[in-house]
Amino acid sequence: MATHAAFMPGAKVEAPTFWGAVASWLTTVDHKRIGILYGSSAFIFFLIGGIEALIMRLQLARPDNTLVGAQTFNELFTMHGTTMVFLAIMPMSAAFFNYMIPLMIGARDVAFPRLNALSYWIFLSGGLFLHVSFLAKAVPDGGWFGYANLTSHQFSPTHSIDFWMLGLQILGISSMLAGFNFLVTIINMRAPGMTLMRMPVFIWMSFVTQFLIVLAFPAITVALILLMFDRFFGTLFYSPAAGGDPLLWQHLFWIFGHPEVYILILPAMGIVSEVLPTFARKPLFGAPVVIYSGIMIGVFGFGVWSHHMFSVGMGPVADAAFSITTMLIAVPTGVKILNWLCTLWGGSIRFRVPLYFSLGFIAMFTMGGLSGVMHASPPVDLQQTDTYFVVAHFHYVLFGGSIFGLFSGAYYWWPKITGKLLDERLGKVHFWLMLLGFNVTFFPQHYLGLIGMPRRIYTYAGDLGWNFWNLVSTIGAFTIAVSLLVFIFNVIRTTRGGKVASADPWDGRTLEWSIPSPPPVYNFARVPDVHDRDELWLQKYGDGHGGAPRPKPAPVTAAEIAAIHMPPSSYWPILLALAMAMMISGLLISMYQVIVGGLLTLFLMYRFAMELHRPADGHGH
Amino acid sequence: MADHGTAAATHGGGGGHATVKTYIQVAIALAIITGVEVATLYVPGIPNPVLVISLLVMSAVKFYLVVGFFMHLKYDHPIMRALFVGPLAIAVAIILAVMALFSAFLLLPRPH
Amino acid sequence: MADHAATHDVTHAVHDPNIGNTGLDHRKMGMWAFLGSDCMFFGSLIGTYLAYKGKSISGPTPHDVFDIPLTSYSAALLLASSLTMVLALAALQDNRVKVAAGWLLATAAMGLHFVLNQVYEFWTFVHHHGLTLGTSLFGSTFFVLTGFHGAHVTGGVLWLLLLVSLAWRGKLDRRDYTKVEIAGLYWHFVDIVWIAIFTIIYLIP
Repeated sequence: MATHAAFMPGAKVEAPTFWGAVASWLTTVDHKRIGILYGSSAFIFFLIGGIEALIMRLQLARPDNTLVGAQTFNELFTMHGTTMVFLAIMPMSAAFFNYMIPLMIGARDVAFPRLNALSYWIFLSGGLFLHVSFLAKAVPDGGWFGYANLTSHQFSPTHSIDFWMLGLQILGISSMLAGFNFLVTIINMRAPGMTLMRMPVFIWMSFVTQFLIVLAFPAITVALILLMFDRFFGTLFYSPAAGGDPLLWQHLFWIFGHPEVYILILPAMGIVSEVLPTFARKPLFGAPVVIYSGIMIGVFGFGVWSHHMFSVGMGPVADAAFSITTMLIAVPTGVKILNWLCTLWGGSIRFRVPLYFSLGFIAMFTMGGLSGVMHASPPVDLQQTDTYFVVAHFHYVLFGGSIFGLFSGAYYWWPKITGKLLDERLGKVHFWLMLLGFNVTFFPQHYLGLIGMPRRIYTYAGDLGWNFWNLVSTIGAFTIAVSLLVFIFNVIRTTRGGKVASADPWDGRTLEWSIPSPPPVYNFARVPDVHDRDELWLQKYGDGHGGAPRPKPAPVTAAEIAAIHMPPSSYWPILLALAMAMMISGLLISMYQVIVGGLLTLFLMYRFAMELHRPADGHGH
Repeated sequence: MADHGTAAATHGGGGGHATVKTYIQVAIALAIITGVEVATLYVPGIPNPVLVISLLVMSAVKFYLVVGFFMHLKYDHPIMRALFVGPLAIAVAIILAVMALFSAFLLLPRPH
Repeated sequence: MADHAATHDVTHAVHDPNIGNTGLDHRKMGMWAFLGSDCMFFGSLIGTYLAYKGKSISGPTPHDVFDIPLTSYSAALLLASSLTMVLALAALQDNRVKVAAGWLLATAAMGLHFVLNQVYEFWTFVHHHGLTLGTSLFGSTFFVLTGFHGAHVTGGVLWLLLLVSLAWRGKLDRRDYTKVEIAGLYWHFVDIVWIAIFTIIYLIP
């Protein structure tokens, strides 16, 4: 049990050795450190996915180009999509869940700190496993959605699909474990007085996202299990010759896949819902309505999946049903956009970089939503599907939406996490270059799709009228890359000697700004008492109706801090993750490895569970 | 550090608790219903829709008995109920949707 | 959703890290969330079975291979094991640890018996009826669905045997009520999935 003598005045803290520091990161169960691990890993994978995109754009910049051939191009778009969805956006959101959820609900950590660490290490092993495919020269090439029966053993005899299939299973386990953790944390660890409707909207959107994760991932788990059994054990799930239906894969995949896109966007929407009120100095307009809209999007998101399948011949009844549900789901989304705009209207706006990215989110996501609503009509979609029009749509919502929202969160919470403020001017350069580059890349793709350019082609003839806008799009992609270099430069410069941040550099509204930047390991010296969603704002300024600010509480004593018990580090999470990776990767190597890995996994699960059972130091029981 | 004193604390706010007598009654009910279910299969001349619906109803009752009493959900905090019943409802809805999409409803079961 | 962020529970929560501000145990809540998620897992498998029901183009049919008496006996075993599970929990609440261990062992034994029945069933399907994973859609869907359920049961048996072992070594008592309770929740869930599978796959024609 770690007490905090180190935090008492006059205490001596020994500087850790290099290996000591490494060990402390490998065994950490601190949600803040785990958040930083997720964020750093996600950013690196984001860059890898970006390089894959740049190579594709180089190849497509000119007709009949020979930079890469068809097979490599297939690998590029498969890995780009898989990486961006599972290894960039999801873990970046997870970084914010990890760091900010306990802080914003007034908790000292998540419900299951060791499980939290386990989730990270499993995620990392999944991301590395996927990329080992490059070393094994069997890179996944079936698209990020792996349609059957292209993925069958008959049509994909190499291990490339196996890497993809098993990699996704590993990542799914990671996401689901984290999902259970955050669900329990949000329900069960809110500070006294924080009713559900007093939770910040970021927490609400994260809450809905966790439900989506734990309910949607089982569907893809099953889809992948059926694929694995087809490929390894000769079952017939996706085999037309035996009466099987490749559409079973599509249904199971999109039953997961559609909630997945809401998993990708809701956290960013939550971030925007925090940033706008802070920089408009005005509470979120209609916060309860925004919350209910988020819940509706989550629930009804399970009812729209076949809008990804309008061209497969489901028949008019199914087409109509899913078309209606898809159009309906645009309503709560539109409601949120209205509420965000009304938050800004009449506000006392301070233009800082986090706000820029949130404004960019609103504009770009709205555009993406408009093209999305067009797809909701099956006859219209029959022209648009499988063309660059769809590519434009989802990049507007996922890049213009999620990525812009995540950068907004990064600039917003950077001072809290690191204690330094990212440079404003460089941030604005990053924003404008990225906004410009993004639109130059993807807006022309709407047009390219409408004049017939299909998706996933590695080259095209020069006489189709596609040349100019493809070149423009490629120029835009490299502009995005430059903007990212600006961001990286900003990060390095700030880390070396940037402006030191106070606890509350933005004059914020929520609890995380009431503690030091960066926070002490225990977050809150004293667990706060909550009376409102914008609790900190009210503490600072009163309720705006003549009520005075709340009286300042007595200063925290050393005895209070010494009484705080934080969970100790543990090496079981990383060891267990390694054993699981050994077991699963054994499926591609040898049965002995699977068995040894499996037994090791069982043993380590036992040790993990027993760590808190009757320990000598009295922690747990 | 212990589950403080009484186990009642760990039943977190749940009012009431099933007794051993209740458990045994539930077990007997489960056994009877299972017997009826199996016996129904051997009764000649039941039209298929009736057979299917009665089997589904009987299994739903068993499901409810185990979840409500053995798993204690009837006495637990509403949060626990919500955590299970919501996903269960979504799962059932998806099963029905998938069946419809694969035209499983058009394939009426044939009597043996 | 009723909300009980109870300030009076704060001191309680400070001392027991497993109890949240609602007064509910994290682990129990986490287990219910997991079981909700597992409904989607089995729902997808059952949906797949039903989507493909009657569409095999060759091979033995369910009617050809199912042994309803054996499967009914297995269903009864699981239901009985749910009873012994709650009896174990009731005994533990009274700190009658050896009795609880006995009921847990009975539960595990019945679960093991269920799995062995299933292994026997699979063996007869393969060797007497020529039905394998790759024979037909029925073979694929049946073995994967019931196989994963059987795997869940096996995991549960191992968990229960661990609890029995801890009890025998004097390392389990009334303080561990919640740990045994969540093992029970998992066990009952495995039982109710079988209630669904037994009816939908075996009984409904």
